[in-house]
Amino acid sequence: MASLGEQFLRRKPVGVMAEETGADTEGGELKRTITLFQLSLFGIGATIGTGIFIVLTEAVPIAGPAVVFSFVFAGAVAGLTAICYAELASAVPVSGSSYSYAYATMGEGIAMIVAACLLLEYGVSAAAVAVGWSQYLNELLDNLFGFTIPESISNAPEADGVINLPAIVLIVLCATLLMRGASESAKVNAVMVLIKIGVLVLFIAVGLTGWSSDNLSDFTPFGVNGITSAAGIIFFSYIGLDAVSTAGEEVHNPRRNLPLAIITALVVVTSIYLLVALVAVAAQPLADFEGQEAGLSAILESVTGSSWPASVLAAGAVISIFSVTLVVIYGQTRILFAMARDGMIPPFFHRLNPRTLTPVPATIVVAILISLLAGLLPINFLAEMTSIGTLVAFLIVSIGVMVLRRTAPDLPRGFRVPLYPIVPLASIAGCIWIIQDLRAVTIYVFFGWSAVALVWYFFYGRHHSLLGRSSS
Amino acid sequence: MTLVVGFAPDGRGRGVLHLSAMLARSTGDDLVVCAVIPAPWPPSPARVDAEWRAEVEHLANDALDRARERLPEDIPARYLIHHARSTPAGLLEVAEEHEANVLVTGPMGSTTGRLLHTSPVPVAISPRGFRCPPDARVTRVTAAYAGADDDLVVAAAAVAARVGASLRIGSFAVRARPPYTSGVGRTADDAMLADWVREIESAARSTLDTVGHLPDVPRALEAVVGHGESWEEALEDVEWHDGDVLVVGSSSAGPVARVFLGSRASKIVRHSPVPAVVVPRGVAVELAEEAAAPA
Repeated sequence: MASLGEQFLRRKPVGVMAEETGADTEGGELKRTITLFQLSLFGIGATIGTGIFIVLTEAVPIAGPAVVFSFVFAGAVAGLTAICYAELASAVPVSGSSYSYAYATMGEGIAMIVAACLLLEYGVSAAAVAVGWSQYLNELLDNLFGFTIPESISNAPEADGVINLPAIVLIVLCATLLMRGASESAKVNAVMVLIKIGVLVLFIAVGLTGWSSDNLSDFTPFGVNGITSAAGIIFFSYIGLDAVSTAGEEVHNPRRNLPLAIITALVVVTSIYLLVALVAVAAQPLADFEGQEAGLSAILESVTGSSWPASVLAAGAVISIFSVTLVVIYGQTRILFAMARDGMIPPFFHRLNPRTLTPVPATIVVAILISLLAGLLPINFLAEMTSIGTLVAFLIVSIGVMVLRRTAPDLPRGFRVPLYPIVPLASIAGCIWIIQDLRAVTIYVFFGWSAVALVWYFFYGRHHSLLGRSSS
Repeated sequence: MTLVVGFAPDGRGRGVLHLSAMLARSTGDDLVVCAVIPAPWPPSPARVDAEWRAEVEHLANDALDRARERLPEDIPARYLIHHARSTPAGLLEVAEEHEANVLVTGPMGSTTGRLLHTSPVPVAISPRGFRCPPDARVTRVTAAYAGADDDLVVAAAAVAARVGASLRIGSFAVRARPPYTSGVGRTADDAMLADWVREIESAARSTLDTVGHLPDVPRALEAVVGHGESWEEALEDVEWHDGDVLVVGSSSAGPVARVFLGSRASKIVRHSPVPAVVVPRGVAVELAEEAAAPA
């Protein structure tokens, strides 16, 4: 019987992973077919969107107009973590989620914690996104038909409602599509990205007409502390950048192109975010942000006095956020599939419907849980939980990069972090800085959740782990 | 020539394999047995779904292995996995890529239903639980006939002649009794139906006459009419035996050369006790022209 420590640190052999994922490790490498340009576009497409539709309402009251610095700060940390993640991903020559990479490099227990973070990054973010969607849907309905869904069934209890029904409907709809095996073509996906960029550009162009420097006179009302606190929620809008990190195997000259693609995507996305944020804070007084629903649409409406730009923006948000929700729920169910295959959670989660080949039981459970979160919890809490989950996962990854340089110096790495050890250290510091400025409730709940994950590992995971059973 | 066979990755659908073996043996075509699985999605380098994707591919490979065991050894067949956003879309892609002349698929369901509405090539459908001996051949082709589809009958005759089968023209008189409350009596429509049957029988005779003058004539020619209160009954009313295949035309008269199944044709396919082949009008016209031209 292996000791708890041995169990906690046992790593999944790369050979086993390659066998499972059918990766061809004999030939050595995947074809390097992705160019720098394509990878940058992937990064922009994966990152931009959803978050920005939601975060301003929550972040501006914390930071004031200086929220623009929060965007720069959160973006910089996101970039650093993405570069660190790239080294970890490149050390494992098969593809997977950060859970799979952690399992292969840092051991089972760490992988379990990373998985707990991923449940926040995917499951909870799906809930947050769905709540944002319900706000824009209500805005759209109001503008087009003069009809809004009553407060009591379109808001969480903390926001003076009973339950957020539209958000639940969205999740059920997405889950149903996924169980049937629906997917989005590359073309539709590209259109979705264009819609997101299009409505943000519309916001910038139209919102600029309402520019009032008076609103910027007190630029940093809450000082540095406000800026870093707001960065915690804003980090939410940079999730997705790590998609670039896993492309090390497929991109030409990863040493140069991987960091370049991350930086390019980051600069483009941050520039758009900055313009949006700047236009927003110049358009209305600070006090107006608090509790504003469907923020960007509401600002456009008050700036122009007419409803059509707001309606266009709301329609764009409703369409594109729907597609994001679909992708995120899909990701969540597939991560759970991988965990169940490893024996870390019950086999129930890797049961496939023989006809559609989709993990139907897992999708149902995920949909129910996300619906409860989206229906009952306020959006700022959900966004912060998503941020903290993602930040801690990246914190572990950044620490892992440094530990592995010491403990496994000979591990073949397709990509190495430049300016070592400055980059991982800066990444670690950035993550910790943002995390400690999050609201206390967020941090406590996160610790609680991690404890649940560890207890689960102690009583279930370490005994059922396929790795443990096959070696004993 | 090639028959593309859609084989579900879940490994069910033996009927499809039996049918494709029978068709391939009769026509001398080779088979492409294809399992369609979901295409990679979403389009991003991040592969959080790698493990699931691998499992799906594994299942598909297992299913193809089983297909390999079950198909008679002397029938030339290739086996492949195809990634597509949906099963019908994937099968059509494979059919186009391999220039298939027939797509073989399982009993009516969502996949077969959509194929029937979109396939530019004939679609062969195995009835539920279809089985045949490994050396079975098509011995008789029955063309579903409603009085105006001469092209389909000629096309069916050409295929029947080529595979050495006989030809039968089958018409189906479905008589739904009027409700008691209509006040005209339960047999009010019978006279009308009798007229229709007489017309159809004479039309069938003249079509058979046309077929008799083709360069290649099937082994034997006959015409039957099945009666019943439902399509199921009408189809059961004529005799069927092993080696029978029912050919149904698409009802589309439009320029789009795709199978568009009318409500009647789809009912025939659904209740056919033997394998059905649904032929798009465009293909039927082409085959009929070829058959009529002196060799």
